[in-house]
Amino acid sequence: MRIFLMQRISAIALLFFMTIHMIVVHYPPFHIDFSRILERMDQPIWKAIDIAFLFFVLMHALTGVYMVITDVERFGTFKRALAVLAVVIGIVAFVYGTMTVMAFQAPTTASAFVP
Amino acid sequence: MYKSTGFISFLLRRVTGIALVLYLFTHMWVIGSANSGADVFDSRLNFFQSTAFKFAEIALLAAVIYHGFDGIRLLIVHYFNVTEYRKSLFYAIFAASVLLVIAGGIPILLFALEG
Amino acid sequence: MVTATIRIQRFNPDVDKKPHIGEFHLEPDQDTTILDALQMSKSQQDGSVTFRRSCRHAICGSCAMNVNGSNMLVCNKPLAAVLDKNRRVTIRPLPYLPIIKDLVVDRSSFWEQYQRVKPWLIPPGDLPEKEFRVSPEEVEALNNAETCIMCGACYSACQVIGMTKQYIGPHALLKAFLRVVDPRDTEPGERLANLSGSDGVYRCHTIFNCIDACPKDLNPTQAIETLRKLAQKRRALDDARNERQKYIEEPVSTG
Repeated sequence: MRIFLMQRISAIALLFFMTIHMIVVHYPPFHIDFSRILERMDQPIWKAIDIAFLFFVLMHALTGVYMVITDVERFGTFKRALAVLAVVIGIVAFVYGTMTVMAFQAPTTASAFVP
Repeated sequence: MYKSTGFISFLLRRVTGIALVLYLFTHMWVIGSANSGADVFDSRLNFFQSTAFKFAEIALLAAVIYHGFDGIRLLIVHYFNVTEYRKSLFYAIFAASVLLVIAGGIPILLFALEG
Repeated sequence: MVTATIRIQRFNPDVDKKPHIGEFHLEPDQDTTILDALQMSKSQQDGSVTFRRSCRHAICGSCAMNVNGSNMLVCNKPLAAVLDKNRRVTIRPLPYLPIIKDLVVDRSSFWEQYQRVKPWLIPPGDLPEKEFRVSPEEVEALNNAETCIMCGACYSACQVIGMTKQYIGPHALLKAFLRVVDPRDTEPGERLANLSGSDGVYRCHTIFNCIDACPKDLNPTQAIETLRKLAQKRRALDDARNERQKYIEEPVSTG
């Protein structure tokens, strides 16, 4: 039941976040580079939106894969181990993703980045 | 194998779902290069912006849109008593997905052919 | 009438390694059912054709088979309705279940899952002197679920059953729904607790094959959806049921 609810809640959140993500990030199509993304990501609100998006997307993806795997009878016996694995992957990916989101800021030491 | 519209929707949901999870982690790895600075980010992204990948992007768009619409369909079935209209509902979301993929694919295609 | 070709999936565990298709050419009448055609093949051409059947009027639930890819009862279906333009029909055993012989499948997992949901009514401790009084609305809410004949058409149409036999299955969940919604049952909360585990209502992926397959036009999918909603407010349902059973012996007002 918990997994089902997690999946539906993240699904509803994703309908919202994914629409924003697709429209803002991919349309109109353009050549993507660091400075281009930075224009948007410099605003804290976009960082917050992207971290929330990351959270829900991971929740949806991992619960989804968990359901796909445990649907097969032979893997049903490893339910516990799979759940633990999913949580670990989720935490690692969330931390890594958050670091990525945070990395989008104008460099203070202007070594590589030329505005 | 028991064939029906329900099975087709289920199969498409699973296939697009698994494809999107694989994409998600690749995506996080690619964008994660921002952690190592703007230079690394730009060079890695350049690789993924060739014309071939623009076509892959349309496939990605199709997967996202179908999976999203299928999710909307399921939510409708969960919260309203509409099992009677299950077939028309599936055809409706399928048609909507196709239209949206065409509408969303054209700008990407134009961009890919130009650049 | 013109010849019809009946293609039957054959499998004899003593000789065959894999199932194969056997063809029978018959001359059916206008009112020949699929079961009649099977019977004709058996009595006139090959006595070893094996299938289950009993009542011949769609109430015993023995003769569910997969005809041209859809599960149905063969006893009440006219042959003419399933013949294609070359006047052929393909009859296979119910999918996803182990085949015993020809069209007979092993349905033990079906019955095990059925037992698991406690398909019987659990009435209050002190039974009413005369009778339980249930309103027409309450009966209507049961959605005709009591007319299920346990034929297994929905169970073997379910792709989830194809992947795991641990899943309770649409037939048993429909029965569980019948008991949970029944105002005379005393343990809806406990039933729902047992149904909301990982093999229960949340294993359903809303594929709708059970509705398509049901020969009695029942709706297991909607029953599962209702159970999912009820499972999230078990305590409230238990309280409401206790309240309801205080006047279960009194006549229902039909205002």
